[in-house]
Amino acid sequence: MLGRDGWAGLVCLAGSLWLLTLTRGLPQPALVPIGPGFYPRIILGSTALLSALLVGADLLARRRAPGPRQGQTAGTAPPPRPRLPPGWPLVLTTFGLFTAYVLLLPGLGYRLATFLFVGALQAALEPRGRRRWIFIVVVAVATTWVTHLVFETYLSVLLPRGRWTAF
Amino acid sequence: MVELLGAGILNVLQAKYLLSLVIGTLAGVVGGALPGVTITMTIILILPFTFGLDPLQGLAAMTGVYVGGSAGGLITACLIGIPGTPSTIATTFDGFPMAQKGQPGRAVWLGVWASFWGGLLGGVFLIAATGPLAAFALQFGPWEFFSLFVFALAMVAGLTGTSLVKGLISGAIGLMATIIGADPIMGVPRLTLGSEFLQGGFQFLPILIGIFAFAQIMTDIEKMSGGGPARDVARQAPSLSVSHLKIIAEVLGRPFLLLWSTFIGILIGVLPAIGGSAANIMAYDQAKKFSRHPERFGTGTPEGIIASESSNNANVGGSLVTIMAFGIPGDAVTAVMLGAMIIHGIQPGPLFISQEPRLAYGIFAAYLLAHPIMVLLIGAGARLFMRIVTVPKPVLIPVVLVFCVVGAYALNNTIENVYVLLLFGVVGYAMVKFAFPLAPLILGVVLGDQIEVNLVRAIMTDANPWLFLTRPISGTLIALSVVSVVLAIWQHYRAQARMAEAAEPDVDF
Repeated sequence: MLGRDGWAGLVCLAGSLWLLTLTRGLPQPALVPIGPGFYPRIILGSTALLSALLVGADLLARRRAPGPRQGQTAGTAPPPRPRLPPGWPLVLTTFGLFTAYVLLLPGLGYRLATFLFVGALQAALEPRGRRRWIFIVVVAVATTWVTHLVFETYLSVLLPRGRWTAF
Repeated sequence: MVELLGAGILNVLQAKYLLSLVIGTLAGVVGGALPGVTITMTIILILPFTFGLDPLQGLAAMTGVYVGGSAGGLITACLIGIPGTPSTIATTFDGFPMAQKGQPGRAVWLGVWASFWGGLLGGVFLIAATGPLAAFALQFGPWEFFSLFVFALAMVAGLTGTSLVKGLISGAIGLMATIIGADPIMGVPRLTLGSEFLQGGFQFLPILIGIFAFAQIMTDIEKMSGGGPARDVARQAPSLSVSHLKIIAEVLGRPFLLLWSTFIGILIGVLPAIGGSAANIMAYDQAKKFSRHPERFGTGTPEGIIASESSNNANVGGSLVTIMAFGIPGDAVTAVMLGAMIIHGIQPGPLFISQEPRLAYGIFAAYLLAHPIMVLLIGAGARLFMRIVTVPKPVLIPVVLVFCVVGAYALNNTIENVYVLLLFGVVGYAMVKFAFPLAPLILGVVLGDQIEVNLVRAIMTDANPWLFLTRPISGTLIALSVVSVVLAIWQHYRAQARMAEAAEPDVDF
């Protein structure tokens, strides 16, 4: 059974091998000794090799690891399970909200999407108290207004307008 | 040199440059003081604000952030015992006990003035050493540059994590990000999967934001709990007033400590891979070893604060030397600084100081001027900064994430860069969870194009691959790369052997 490093190594191995196969279609010029695929193949080949090493090292380490302690039989000692971080629901919520923000940004436009994102994330991170809702709205409005003002007015960055809202 | 420096100082003293330097330094001090917000993250967040500015304005702001951030961390380190940045860890050992003994002002100002003097001495080294080192680097051909970049990557990959293989994979992932897009010889699209956006390759700013800011925020969210000691301290609002002459005399009255800690900071700054977080701990350790009263360390002794703070600000000067003379970053912060220079159309390296003396000496001047500005800003607003660090994370996190998005978008007004930020944010967070070091990845992203260009140039000039080993400088650098890898392997096995020894049952009983 693979451990954390082993799985990470396998993912890197698969990714690098997949990209390595894509370099086969790159043209080889007749006039220069090396073509566009030369350097990527070195990098991807090295990554694949290192990933295989990581998988191998993980397998070896797990094989060398001491067996169950006295008083435990092989059948009763459960294999260590990867633990989820204590704040994982918040991480997941933040990730979900951020992904939604990024994906909805072109549709809703910067101002609306940012207001909704800042409000929603604050509420998700600290949902207690009724008075907080006023504070949440104030922070969301202020963040949206200040960033919009600074970037559009002073730094000439044209922030996204909404395809659906034209705002 | 003196004339150029004088002209540089006069140049930076113009309102438009001075304003960006002051704002950058202020942002650095605040970012450095905020626990969980690193100097790297502050530079990344401030960078988009400098896109529209002229290069010297932008770089003055970035230099200010770097200098201010290196000192800002000491405020929280001394007053609440939480280092604002990793480079102020050792400051907490004596700064916080001194503040608890009823001398918060002395603790903060010893740190500020030690940072000031250490930083200025680092600046003297920066100005004196960059020119000669750049002249030496002019002897470099593509073989030497390729080997130098490989050396930097090998050092960082080997020394920043617990596993050499993971460090190397992290660096390789960074390099992989740079091979996507048009190749530098024929402009052939590589690994673009038919995407028009990918033909231009990944821009490194969205990658940096994703890897550092997003991944760091996600890690912070995992540990989130409301309140904390910062609020209590803010409520107490300790008085920080001191006699500055006395404090300066206290710092300068220990010349050996100041010079030795500064030397350690500079040396670690020049060497790739180690960085400010190690500099302050090493200087603290050295100060303790040389002290007549090592037992006082950790109880609020001024030597501990002076050693830690002078070394971490001197470290900034040292690391700027390697960027400006060789074009190689020593750690994640300097990789981001290098990236900031490239975004402003500057390619640091041996030709930079001779081809762009106005800019180079402008950066030196900004570096020197950032120190008194930092002192003034901390003097004017230390108590205010303490209030800023009490901003609750549920408010801070959404605002920082919005800055991340705007920063990625503003690079060239494309939403695809925001998708790249999200992608690399996930990659960065996954790497943190799987205990991969992030610094080699950043170095790979920043150096990837240069490594490829120099490799291709070398082979196009002479296809003999042995030249990488037989040319003296290149061969030495390759040998040093091998040594650093071997050293990392040896350290790994030594650590494993120690752990095995510690795990063995005690048979004497």
